[in-house]
Amino acid sequence: MVKNFIYFLLFVLAVIATAELIGIQSFTIGSMTISMLPLVFAIAIAMLLGLPYLRKGILKKIYSKKNVEFASKYLIFIMLPLMARYGSDVAPQIKEILQVGWVFIIQEIGNLGTVLIGLPIAILIGLRREAIGATLGIGREGELAYISEKYTLESPEGRGVISLYVIGTLFGTMFFSIFAPVLLDFGIRVEALAMASGVGSGSMMSAASATLVARVPEMESTILAYASASQLLTSFIGTFTMVFLAAPLQQFMYKFFVRGDKK
Amino acid sequence: MSPTMRRYIRYALVLLLSVSFILFAQEIKLLKNPDSTPITSMTFIGLGILWLFSFLGVIIADLMKMVPIKVIRDFPILGWVSITSLTLCLISDFFVEAIQSVDFLAITTPILTVAGISVANRLVDLRKTSWKIAIVAVFVFAGTYICSALLAQMGLLFAGH
Repeated sequence: MVKNFIYFLLFVLAVIATAELIGIQSFTIGSMTISMLPLVFAIAIAMLLGLPYLRKGILKKIYSKKNVEFASKYLIFIMLPLMARYGSDVAPQIKEILQVGWVFIIQEIGNLGTVLIGLPIAILIGLRREAIGATLGIGREGELAYISEKYTLESPEGRGVISLYVIGTLFGTMFFSIFAPVLLDFGIRVEALAMASGVGSGSMMSAASATLVARVPEMESTILAYASASQLLTSFIGTFTMVFLAAPLQQFMYKFFVRGDKK
Repeated sequence: MSPTMRRYIRYALVLLLSVSFILFAQEIKLLKNPDSTPITSMTFIGLGILWLFSFLGVIIADLMKMVPIKVIRDFPILGWVSITSLTLCLISDFFVEAIQSVDFLAITTPILTVAGISVANRLVDLRKTSWKIAIVAVFVFAGTYICSALLAQMGLLFAGH
């Protein structure tokens, strides 16, 4: 048992070292610059080597049941120093943040984008009640709890939210890490993108803001301060936005689209 | 030893593990790029402070579980740690200076490594999700991000920022 855990520790160090030695890789497609940070390589390597049919020999010991359980149980604690770091990013800029405080609140409404953009697409490609679960939010714990309370997780709505949860867990950070700076090339200001990064998942916010920092390093302190302030705000009022805005809007749009569909 | 005590000791050790990983990542980052954030005595103090603030946040989150207001009880532990750290950083600039000598990206790499391992057993769940939801997921993630960014852009414009 202890031996497996030592393998786990060494493996984590090896993955960190590999990811850091690969470093930041940027490439351009047309006018878009795509940057990949060590964190993307880290999660990709750790996930790929954990594929069930690769788990033989040493990998089987590293990805033992106990070790994977340890990783998922304590992931949140491994993340805490990052959250503590954000305090030091926000503190020096607290005045500026409070000055544009209302902008932070306004952009929270942007979290309705999951319904506004996601729901029509979902219905267009033929999803029905699953779409309710899959587009209410970005499918984190908050939505999971709400949907399970209202529809249970065995319902189509429940399947929708669970699927989104799984996809978000596996690919969310990679998606935001790559997608966030792409919008820079569409002329959106880095401050706005930093604010938008507070999507409601700590790791997705970190991935989005980290890539923004890599692209605009001279704005590092502002980016991290705005992103984490917005994230904090989302954790406070995100539930309200979901229950009082996203859910009613979704019901309204769902009825509208599905009725139009039958004609 | 009481179970609560044992639980806190376990948290303390996991947090220690986390900051050790960060130090290691920052070291390797320096090997790769000697111009990145240097490791000085302040880095060690910074890591110690990150450890301490995280631990304080855990305790505060536990205490807040007793508050009869649901929003406060349900507030995530990650948020409590940020608030604890923010409050203490507002009180003293020394905390800010020390924490800032820890490289930001070096903090993110170990987390995503552990995250990658933690989801290893969920990869099979992917087979149960349909490709349709995968398409929807792209629009859901992009949707929230784009809408928030556009609103923020307009807001900043009005604020004359």
